[in-house]
Amino acid sequence: MMRGPREWGPAARGLRMGIIDRLSVICFAGTYGLALAAELARFVVRAPARWYAATGLTALAWLVQTAYLANLAWKSPMAPVASEFGSMMVLSWMVGVVGLYWMLRSPRGVAVGIFVLPIVLVLVMGAGWISPRGSGWMEAGGRVAFWGAVHGIFLLGGAVLTCLAFFAGLMYLAQMRRLKLKRASRTGLALPSLEQSERINQAAITMAFPLLTFGLLIGGILSLSGAGDATAHAIRWTDPKVISALGMWLVFAGALHARFRPDWRGRRMMILTIVAFGLLVFTWVGVVALRLPTAHGSMTSAGSGRVATP
Amino acid sequence: MGVDHRSAPASVREALAFDGPRCAEGLQALTSAFPGIEAVILSTCNRVELYLAGDPMAVPEAEALAAELIRFHGVDEDLIGGHLVSYHDEGAVGHLFRVSSSLESLVLGEGQILGQVRDAYRAAIDAGTVGPIFHQVFQAALRVGKLVRTQTGMDQGKLSVASVAVDVAREVFDSFTDKTVLVIGAGKMGETTLQHLKGLNPGTILVTNRSAERAEAAAARWGGQAYPFDRLGQALVEADLVISTTAASEPIVTLEQYHRVQRARRNRLALILDIAIPRDFDPRIGDLDRVMLYHVDDLRAQAEQNRMQRQKGVDPALAIIERETATCYARLRHQHDAGHLLRELGDWYDAARGRELEKLFASRPHLCADESDREAIAHAMLRLQNQFLHHPRAAVRSAAADPPENHPHPLLDYARHLFGLGDRSPKSLRKI
Repeated sequence: MMRGPREWGPAARGLRMGIIDRLSVICFAGTYGLALAAELARFVVRAPARWYAATGLTALAWLVQTAYLANLAWKSPMAPVASEFGSMMVLSWMVGVVGLYWMLRSPRGVAVGIFVLPIVLVLVMGAGWISPRGSGWMEAGGRVAFWGAVHGIFLLGGAVLTCLAFFAGLMYLAQMRRLKLKRASRTGLALPSLEQSERINQAAITMAFPLLTFGLLIGGILSLSGAGDATAHAIRWTDPKVISALGMWLVFAGALHARFRPDWRGRRMMILTIVAFGLLVFTWVGVVALRLPTAHGSMTSAGSGRVATP
Repeated sequence: MGVDHRSAPASVREALAFDGPRCAEGLQALTSAFPGIEAVILSTCNRVELYLAGDPMAVPEAEALAAELIRFHGVDEDLIGGHLVSYHDEGAVGHLFRVSSSLESLVLGEGQILGQVRDAYRAAIDAGTVGPIFHQVFQAALRVGKLVRTQTGMDQGKLSVASVAVDVAREVFDSFTDKTVLVIGAGKMGETTLQHLKGLNPGTILVTNRSAERAEAAAARWGGQAYPFDRLGQALVEADLVISTTAASEPIVTLEQYHRVQRARRNRLALILDIAIPRDFDPRIGDLDRVMLYHVDDLRAQAEQNRMQRQKGVDPALAIIERETATCYARLRHQHDAGHLLRELGDWYDAARGRELEKLFASRPHLCADESDREAIAHAMLRLQNQFLHHPRAAVRSAAADPPENHPHPLLDYARHLFGLGDRSPKSLRKI
């Protein structure tokens, strides 16, 4: 005898929700993918319609993602940053809007989308397919929930700026290489000037550093404050996420210091930015994807076991 | 009909030029000499072309047009003999499209010609010598010119050393109002490059030369400041963009010297355009991380790459032009056929109405007693005729405005058949 939807158990409902959720993610990930295809078409298509298609599709994907996140926030009493999935989704959403703004502000020949859209796509897909969706630490309520959210928001802001610094660094290196090789700018693949890329990179690093510092400090204090509490969320200093986040902070500190070392300007600075971005990706996606043992993003609450947190 | 940089030397082009007010005078002279034609004159430094269109009876033969050109300019017939080139019908439309797409230009892909075609068209509109044919043809030419540029990228990349230098400067720096440009030496090439760079509005221009007087003179000419040559190192520290054009036989700046300069500059980005032969800057300076060193050969090579890139766009451009020419000419022919059909239709009905009126007045003489009655009857017949023909005319006009791709609209043949107007008009009733 067949069962109607009302008779489905919680597991079946969860499965159904999971499928619908993934379909929604596929929907805007696919639109970002089409926008990227339109961006890549710049090598063969020179008609202005290509630019409209690329920016239009990016804007559409971003709007659909906005609606998705708004729905997520509406359905859940917790902020979208409460889970690793939500945090990464918000990160991709913010990187998406930064990229869209940059695409609209730059001359049409400048290939911003080629650098930004793959990262947005990777973040969306990483969030949709790798990141744990569960969230529990907000449910603990009170001080932990509040400072946990602040910790997450600071790190999220730092991550967005790290992505921006990374894009600018890549563009700088690509433009530098072309200029050093004395090659004519390929039709349809213009890049921002070295000066502009460097300015964006430096501004992003300068703004990211305090956000990362405060975010990590709050995380550290939260961890220390719960170290003696068996029901709390103690995280070891040897945790891979903690190590890579601290590594990223150190790289940023080095990059900031490089502002006072003229001989570090340029290529070295951009390579540092790329290393910082690599550590960011490792912290957010790598640790989970490689199934490394981490206590970050989970808390042991009495009687309820392990619950995922950002 | 006309001359261009390929068919005629500059002296002939200058003798036949229609500069400024001469263009309007030329248009008036053409329409006076050949009444009922449409005329546009395209006169640039590389070409002088007369475009004429209208009924074949009105459009002059090439010899008559050449005679009018000689008469207008008062030049010797021998001067232009053999230099004039003429195109007809579809060939003329295709030529105009090639001109507006810059395929016929001295510098392939140059952007000026499109503006010049637009100016010529506007001047002819102002002179009242543009009719339905040239409105359509010239608007299509402007559209095709843009289409070719956007779809083939033929306008991308500069072709002169000075323009390439400006492009390179733009790829290194974002703004120039806070930048200092240093010119070392006062060579011709350096002056040309600086003229182009001045379009970027650099904040400060410094000029240094072994001869202080020449430096002062050049600085005064370019709105810069003279700098003593023995303080070249300090000038290099201040400069962001360097143009060097001295006649020195050895490099005037070595790698070690520039290392010190770059330290003093706190490793700021620098662009050096070494236009001198032999080089003024040690080529190893270009290996420094934050220094872009371009020699004149690098700039020339880049200009050559751009030229080859534009050349690649020629075949796709010709394909676009061929397609657009066929479409435009088919549309013109179609509209001509529709116009001819409407005239024939009107003429046939006018004749029939006249015949019937004559018969009526002959059989009823009392109707002719009062002139006003006669006019009223004639007007009534005319209104009736117009009412009968209103819908067929509207349908034919609509079909003419939207013909199927390169084929006459079948409605035209149906209309001829319905109204018993016989076969379509001969092919070359109108000439361009």
